[in-house]
Amino acid sequence: MTKLLEWVFCVLLLGVAWALVTFDLLDLRLPPIYKELAWPMPVYLLVLFGCYSIATIGYRVATFNDCEEAAKELQTQIAEAKADLRKKGLKL
Amino acid sequence: MATGTDQAAGMGLVGFSILLFTYYTIWVIILPFVDNDHLIHKYFLPREYSVILPGVAALVLLLFIGTFIGVVTWKSHSPQKVD
Repeated sequence: MTKLLEWVFCVLLLGVAWALVTFDLLDLRLPPIYKELAWPMPVYLLVLFGCYSIATIGYRVATFNDCEEAAKELQTQIAEAKADLRKKGLKL
Repeated sequence: MATGTDQAAGMGLVGFSILLFTYYTIWVIILPFVDNDHLIHKYFLPREYSVILPGVAALVLLLFIGTFIGVVTWKSHSPQKVD
């Protein structure tokens, strides 16, 4: 079974469980609190995933490894290379 | 480590996502277990909005993304046609 089929199967299983509780398809007569908690679940999980994504991106931006000396060194090397090429006749 | 504004922006995003997560979790998961006459209900809209508002936000986001793609595609084609 391919990975895609596995994921689709899992999502389908969870979807059926959610629909059973939200729309009372089997007439299980669960306490109403189950229905109250179940019906916003898909949207809640999406918002949760969105929050996790924003937090991960923000954290990795804040802890990114800048190399300031290497950047300055690179800029001076670029300037040197341009001066050298101009001297040799290349039009920049 | 990243510098100045990068760090501030990154930590700002983290803080925003924590706030959003806390408010939304209390709204969706904790409030149904709290008595209806507790003061905390004053700070939250009726529970239907906990599904409607993210839905509207998702639609607005898709609108922005679509408009952005449209504008960029149009700008990349029109200089050719002017010549």
